Amino acid sequence: MLSAPDTQAIDLATFPSTIDLPYTLTPGKAAGTFLAEIATRRIVGNRFANGEVVAPAQDFSTRDAEDRYEFVEAPHTGVLGAFTQVGDNVIGLIQLDGCDNEFPHKMLADYSALSAGMRVAAVWDEAQDQSILCIAGFAPAPDAPIGTVNPFGETAAPLEVINYRMKLDYEHAYGPYYGRMFDEIREHGRIMGVRTSSGDEALLPPREIDDLTHKRTGTWKTCENTGTIKGCSIINMEFIGQTRPPPYAYAEIVLDGASTRLIHMIEIESIAWAKEHVRPGRRVRAIWTTGTRTGSLKDIERFELIDE
Amino acid sequence: MALGNVAVLASAQTELRPAWRDAQHIDLISAVVTSVFKGTGLSLDDVDFVIDSGSDVLDGRSISNCGFLGALGAHHKDEARVEEDGLWAALYGVNKIRSGASSVGLIVAYSKPSESDVSAYWSSQCEPFYQRPVGFGQRAANGMQAQRYLAAHSVSERDLAELVAQRWADAAKHGKVAIDAVPDADTVMASRDAALPLKELMLARPVDGAVAVLLASEDIALRHSRNPVFITGMGNAMDSHAFGSRTAGKLASCEAAAAMAYKKAGWDKPKADIAEVSASSAVSELMAIEALGMAAAGKGLEAANGGKVRINASGGALPADPIMATGLIRLANAATQLSRPELFGSDAPSRAIVHGAGGVAMQSNCVFTLEV
Amino acid sequence: MGHHVGIVGVGQTHHSRRRTVVSQAGLVREAVDRALADAKLTMDDIDSVVVACGPVLFAAVNQPEKWVVDAIGAQGKPVVRVTSGGGAGFAGALAGYYQVAGGYSERTLVVAYDKLSEGQLQYSISTLYDPFWGREFAVGIMGFSAAYWRARMDVLGHTEEAAAMVSVKNHRNALANPYAHFKKEVTVEEVMASKPLCWPIKLLDVPPISDGAAAVVLASESVAARSTNRPAWIQGIAYCCEADNAPERSMLLSEPLAIAARHVYRAAGITNPRRQFDVVEVQEPYSCFELSYYESLGLCPPGGAAELIASGATELDGDIPVNPSGGCMGANPIGAVGLIRLIEAATQVMGRSENHQIKDAKLALVQSGGGWANLRGCAVLSA
Repeated sequence: MLSAPDTQAIDLATFPSTIDLPYTLTPGKAAGTFLAEIATRRIVGNRFANGEVVAPAQDFSTRDAEDRYEFVEAPHTGVLGAFTQVGDNVIGLIQLDGCDNEFPHKMLADYSALSAGMRVAAVWDEAQDQSILCIAGFAPAPDAPIGTVNPFGETAAPLEVINYRMKLDYEHAYGPYYGRMFDEIREHGRIMGVRTSSGDEALLPPREIDDLTHKRTGTWKTCENTGTIKGCSIINMEFIGQTRPPPYAYAEIVLDGASTRLIHMIEIESIAWAKEHVRPGRRVRAIWTTGTRTGSLKDIERFELIDE
Repeated sequence: MALGNVAVLASAQTELRPAWRDAQHIDLISAVVTSVFKGTGLSLDDVDFVIDSGSDVLDGRSISNCGFLGALGAHHKDEARVEEDGLWAALYGVNKIRSGASSVGLIVAYSKPSESDVSAYWSSQCEPFYQRPVGFGQRAANGMQAQRYLAAHSVSERDLAELVAQRWADAAKHGKVAIDAVPDADTVMASRDAALPLKELMLARPVDGAVAVLLASEDIALRHSRNPVFITGMGNAMDSHAFGSRTAGKLASCEAAAAMAYKKAGWDKPKADIAEVSASSAVSELMAIEALGMAAAGKGLEAANGGKVRINASGGALPADPIMATGLIRLANAATQLSRPELFGSDAPSRAIVHGAGGVAMQSNCVFTLEV
Repeated sequence: MGHHVGIVGVGQTHHSRRRTVVSQAGLVREAVDRALADAKLTMDDIDSVVVACGPVLFAAVNQPEKWVVDAIGAQGKPVVRVTSGGGAGFAGALAGYYQVAGGYSERTLVVAYDKLSEGQLQYSISTLYDPFWGREFAVGIMGFSAAYWRARMDVLGHTEEAAAMVSVKNHRNALANPYAHFKKEVTVEEVMASKPLCWPIKLLDVPPISDGAAAVVLASESVAARSTNRPAWIQGIAYCCEADNAPERSMLLSEPLAIAARHVYRAAGITNPRRQFDVVEVQEPYSCFELSYYESLGLCPPGGAAELIASGATELDGDIPVNPSGGCMGANPIGAVGLIRLIEAATQVMGRSENHQIKDAKLALVQSGGGWANLRGCAVLSA
């Protein structure tokens, strides 16, 4: 059995990281039309050239990828197929009357009150707009008459985009190597790496296996606060997710005693000044925070040019 | 033009744990890459290419292979990322060797679902306009699939619980799986509701882990292995994304993948001695067994419990599902059962079926046949 | 040896800054329809499908092939997706190539796409960086790319003017490309005077942001003739990498590309690339990269790129035209670009380029790549 590499005494739990991004998604003609009409309580479906009738509307038949269709208006009633409960959410497969497909939606009833084959009807949510959730869900409707699929007539223009947000949360493990490195940064304000498998220069960030030789790396080593710019560019653009206002210099720096690059930033006086002074080969020094160190690269506020 | 045979030469796997809190992705990956060569007489220098499986969403970084290349042993080699279970990476590797372009390939799959919200991994696979907003995802799909199956066949929730208990017991024996206490059927039944009618322990348990498999052309395999295991057939297929549009009650794409693999192996039926099958739930394991042709529709339970084919001696995916690596672990495990049967207390099995799956409610399936 | 593999059908969308009438899946369908029609086939004739695109954060759909499958009618078939950042399309073609070469299929459809209008490009690319180590300082891949262009400037003479000439050439070539959407002739002076974004990268060194898809049908020798009597044969194809933070990584010459080129040239019998190739298509995410590729692909010696572009040799009427399609400057749906370059080179050797057909083109070189400039590949196509 393989086990984890030798663990140092560290008390860093996990490293929290969040990826949180806005999107503008295009639903396409069929779903876009459905989403444009749904707030008016009209369910847009479509009849494909192959005869299949589906709702909610979709651009391609799941039967044979047929893409020729006309829009139809589907009824608000149908039949429940399979269903389940996940947490508090009861979800079932709904087949609207006159349609050939089943689609998943919320069921507004207790799980125990449902049975496959029962009649159901849409329940509407006035607070929603341009979403499948304009239908809050489906509720049992034993006496609901069987609805029919009808020609739609004029449809609204399809929605071109919907706003969407995806947020992903992580708790990354430090592992013994990153753990020791960030612990040293926090406790002692120094950057430590491990020697390569065959040399004296340190790998940053440290790791158990040397990328080049795939052999075990060597012993720990403290790198200097000074180093040399390997590559640099002058950032003069804004973008969503940026952590500091431009202009500033992006720099990949090899610290003295290390062999691999550390990515950080250099404050600049002006773009013109930076073009002249911030360049590969220039010597730099880490400026550590004067506040409380947290055990991350942020404990170095920036790098600044030094003369040698 | 005859294409060459390809063998599984060796494999290595970390323990599968609910959480490897003291190791990073690269630690798990480099551990298996370092170990896989043991006893083969080969080293990383002999490897022509690396193909890896992992998920950007689970890893929390884009093009995550790009950051793990050193650990993967891929530096200055030909490398590819298949963002699907590692069995598909192995399929790619086999094709590459069969083409004659390469002779030794390293296949690696890993994941650390403990670092993220696994439900986001699944829901982000769902189409964003109709499915995602209503909360449809892996659990809902598995619940509905189970409800249909139990209604159609004489299988009870208790039967599922007993199967789960058996799988955990086997995993504790053979699967390199971290298990505190093997649950009995009562414990399974008493676990919390997950996706009714399924209980939590009836769903595959996400775990952290990594696996590496060394593939080689026949001539190299014969020189470097006492008992090479040959991959004689492969197939894969994908079902419709719309869960409601898939054929109810069976895994059609698994049937298609199996038909492809058996045809290439020259099998008129699933004539294997052992099988390693993936699953997202106890019910989908039964459905996979049926789709692989090892039982008639609705009869998967009897086969699962010890029919002609010994199924999931490793415990399978229910006690340990390192998403993205589960199918490749099945391959590694089946190959070990064939090459070293003494470890599993079996007679000398000579043929195996290996199954991997991906997507919500196993939308995509991949099947290998192995022979010694 | 494996089966000989040819490109027998190609298709791409008319790329655009934003396609507001089709979903991601619909975009893929358009390219697939065009490639199948071009190959005189239907989906029934296809044995397997490879899908490729940029990372999930580009468009918020994880494992999108599982959604796309319904749009292209590939249910029941083998479908798999490969990723490789910017090189995804090329990596997809490589995976498809081995399915045919390894006898797994007779015909494989490879489709690649990105719909970049749907997400936040720079931030989502920044997540390429280790969350512990450098992500907060990342500027997509542009900050990095500019940083090492700056280093090459000092060592190899890849000046701002030389890169501007690449931009001028590719923008001009894109004017005649019916699939390009950014069509604007620029001058060296305009490039030099354009706004610095990540200096030395300036606005006009940067391709547009695009929605687009591309597809090819790969076929074995035994079935190729049903689609065309003049396939583009893949004589060699490889894709190599280097560990991103390896100590000896120079960032000056692209070692993975040089390794891939050595491999591919050997397979295809190329001993003098400058003289032997009739046409070259490269994926230049920024103008500066094209200069670097010249050197790593052996079109000129290290340090010779600025002279090569200035000599006019890589212009349409030069002896080694590079990017007659306009390269990325006309359209840049990132995950599709590697496949688009392959298509542009294939149509050249098939004698039916829709923009600038290079006369009697018989042998073409294609380059693609992604990641931190550490995933790099190339292919040789012949008539």
